Amino acid sequence: MLTRFLLRRILTSAVQMFALTLAVFFLVRLLPADPVSRLVGMNASPEAYAQAQRSLGLDQPVFTQLLNYLGLGSKSGLLQGDLGVSWLTNTPVVQEIGMSLPITLELLTYSFLVTLIVAVPIGVMSAANPGKLVDKAVFIYGLFGGSQPEFWWGLLFVLIFFSTLGVAPAPLGMIDPLMLPPPRVTGFYTLDALIAGDFAAFADILHHLMLPVLTMVFVLSGPVIKMVRQSMIQAHASDFVLYGTAIGLRRGTLTNYALRAAIAPTLTLVGILYGVMLGGAVLVENVFALGGIGQYAVRSVLAFDYPSIQGIVLVITAISLLIYLALDILYALIDPRVVYS
Amino acid sequence: MALAAGAMLGLTAFLPAAEAADSSLLFLAEDVPSGLDPDGPSIAIPTTQLGMVQLLEPLIAYADKASPNEDGVKMPDFSKPVGRLLESWSYDPGTLTWTLKLRHGVKSCAGNEFTADDLLYTYARALNVGGAVPNAWFLLNMASVKGFSTDVFSSDPEVAKKAKTLGDGVRKVDDYTVEVTQTEPNPLFLVNIAVTISQGVFDSKAMKEHATADDPWSYNYANNVNLPSFGPYCLESWTKNSEIRFKANPNYYRGKAPIEHVIIKKVPQGGNRISILRSGQAQLIQGMTPNQYDSIRKMPGLSVSGVYGNEGLFVVMNFKNPPFDNIKLRQAIAYAMPYDRVIQVGYGGQAKKWESVVPSTYPGFVAHEPPYTYDPEKAKQLLAEAGYPGGKGLEKYADQFKLTYVSEKETTLGPVVNQIRSALAAVGLPVTLDPIPQAQYGDRQIVKKDLAFAINDQEKPIGVDTGYAMQLFFVSKAAGGINNMVNYDNPKLDAMWAKARVEPDTAKRDEILAQMQNILMRDVVWLPVVEFKTQWAHSDKLKGFTWNPGNSLLLYDLHY
Repeated sequence: MLTRFLLRRILTSAVQMFALTLAVFFLVRLLPADPVSRLVGMNASPEAYAQAQRSLGLDQPVFTQLLNYLGLGSKSGLLQGDLGVSWLTNTPVVQEIGMSLPITLELLTYSFLVTLIVAVPIGVMSAANPGKLVDKAVFIYGLFGGSQPEFWWGLLFVLIFFSTLGVAPAPLGMIDPLMLPPPRVTGFYTLDALIAGDFAAFADILHHLMLPVLTMVFVLSGPVIKMVRQSMIQAHASDFVLYGTAIGLRRGTLTNYALRAAIAPTLTLVGILYGVMLGGAVLVENVFALGGIGQYAVRSVLAFDYPSIQGIVLVITAISLLIYLALDILYALIDPRVVYS
Repeated sequence: MALAAGAMLGLTAFLPAAEAADSSLLFLAEDVPSGLDPDGPSIAIPTTQLGMVQLLEPLIAYADKASPNEDGVKMPDFSKPVGRLLESWSYDPGTLTWTLKLRHGVKSCAGNEFTADDLLYTYARALNVGGAVPNAWFLLNMASVKGFSTDVFSSDPEVAKKAKTLGDGVRKVDDYTVEVTQTEPNPLFLVNIAVTISQGVFDSKAMKEHATADDPWSYNYANNVNLPSFGPYCLESWTKNSEIRFKANPNYYRGKAPIEHVIIKKVPQGGNRISILRSGQAQLIQGMTPNQYDSIRKMPGLSVSGVYGNEGLFVVMNFKNPPFDNIKLRQAIAYAMPYDRVIQVGYGGQAKKWESVVPSTYPGFVAHEPPYTYDPEKAKQLLAEAGYPGGKGLEKYADQFKLTYVSEKETTLGPVVNQIRSALAAVGLPVTLDPIPQAQYGDRQIVKKDLAFAINDQEKPIGVDTGYAMQLFFVSKAAGGINNMVNYDNPKLDAMWAKARVEPDTAKRDEILAQMQNILMRDVVWLPVVEFKTQWAHSDKLKGFTWNPGNSLLLYDLHY
């Protein structure tokens, strides 16, 4: 049953990806701008312009460009796993995404872990004591914290913790510029530092991640706490908890049962937020100069770097589809009522 | 928990700024180089050029003026070219041949000695035009170097192949002598070989070591790994989109750089660059708005060094878009322009009125007489003479009066365009604002040439010569003009350029170029508004700032 479910989902995803590939390919070419002019600048002749146009393959008909991109009209293309070469840097897009994506994944993974550690207990407490101090505090935080954009919080935290208190490092990326980064193995800075046994670098990387993670947690916790609270209130009102109360189960035991029922929608929310934040973390990446996939995406869009834009969209979509698939599987593990069909 | 522990340990792991102070420099910029190849796809991006000029060595540069400017920045004297990789040079007008004597004892980062083979390799690579942008070829073509013709782009493969072979236009006489022949007298040769980002010389041995069958000219290597040359710094490491590290070249022929290690780090947020500079962890920043520089000027321990170099703000009015084909209307706009308000509001006083269409620092610049000043009454009078008294009749041109500017520059240009809109509206000109993305702006300016009314603060002739500027921006396409974005077509001006282009007598050439500037200013072909300062903010302990026309700071000049 599970195998059939997975196969069907993978097939559907492949169709979705192909449709998206075509859509992105044509949509970027509809943008009212010319990437060649950005390349050559003003100190260039028409011959130089034409040469730049040829070097990008933009002198070819759009359909030929599509075939080349897909790898049907050239030696290497999407079907061969080649996302092309960035028009801005002349580096393979796969390599550039390989550099920037782990940074965003590392930021998001730590942020969501801390968010869950913080938000679930608070949400549970808030639901257990509606209208009391914790609940009111959650309400105020929801209004205040969630209503401000993350870059604003990031800049505020830099001002407080770096400029004023001096307890946070300068927003200079993942590691102090005066330290050498650990040799690249996985692309995840913390893991690479541990693999290299470089604990000074490991500590410095965590130190540099402190404020970006705090910023993300501050913004992400709001909806997660609300979801946990809401789900817990619903669970507490459900028949099985009422039955448990009636037969005299302890409050802790009841909370555990209720939490199991409440965690499924919370995980869904976290999964969706994770997918959204792959691109949405750009503001935090920008404030802390992290160089993640969001920053790479913005740079590519501003430069009208078609191969990079296409590559980023495909990779982010693929990850999002994987996350949703993993969520579906997790659902069944958490909730025995869910069956694959 | 792990993060908290990391925070504690990280504090102790951080190197104090003072420890690195004398031997290193942390320079925060908006970005780091996206490539390093002079013919690479990111050559037009200033932060790419910033990286390249630390590694590349030019053939010639310019001597410093006797005294620095008011901010203590040393300025080049463009009348005094000095040899860098060239020890000397001479020109024979009879044969149109330059004899270049190369400097002895120059070694690259890799320890290879500079010889004529490196220069020939550099020229042959330029002629190959195999990179994304044929930047190196372009300046040699513009300088009429024999063999650097447009045949290299021929659709006939045989013609192109033959044209890409370095012929007798560039000849090796011996290991330290090269002769370059031109097809006509053209003073731009000496001007253009001073442009480091285009004409810097490769370490040919190092380049060839990284050539492959698919990439015989090492474009991938120069774009993604290193730029081997004879410059003051060597590349230590480079992570695109993050940082680039340089180490002083121990073999540099002018002496090792005073600052041994330099890190250029990308910090996209201007506010953060200021915070880190204030903390003392960084010693130098760039890419701030004029107002931000103004605020840094008042901060203890920090300085701002600036220079009126070659950056200016001008208004584009397209001759192909009525009513901008009306000279009286163009002049009316010139008299309605609030020059002082732009200087004060837009640039915090760090700008001055621009009196011609070429930078005032360039040889051959001539200020227009009488200058256009802010004179609303005269503007109204000219508007009436143009056939639009009080702006009546201009309603139908509302689309043409959309003042277009680059939306990414909103922070800097926003206050400027608002001042201009208010002032022009006051005399009856129906101006609205039209911010568009940089890539779209570039497309419309360079390719379509259909920007009717626009503000531009990013164009400058990289060749330091008034004639170069004329050919680049104002001569018609039929007469060899290159990027005439306003579609100005004046046969008289074209004829004057045809004469000036091959005029060997500098005084006579300057006279013609002065007349051309007068015509351009009379017709308000561009409306030059202000020249603004190129600025850097830094620790007040950091000295030695020197401006060069590439606007990329040469780190070699800096010291504590």
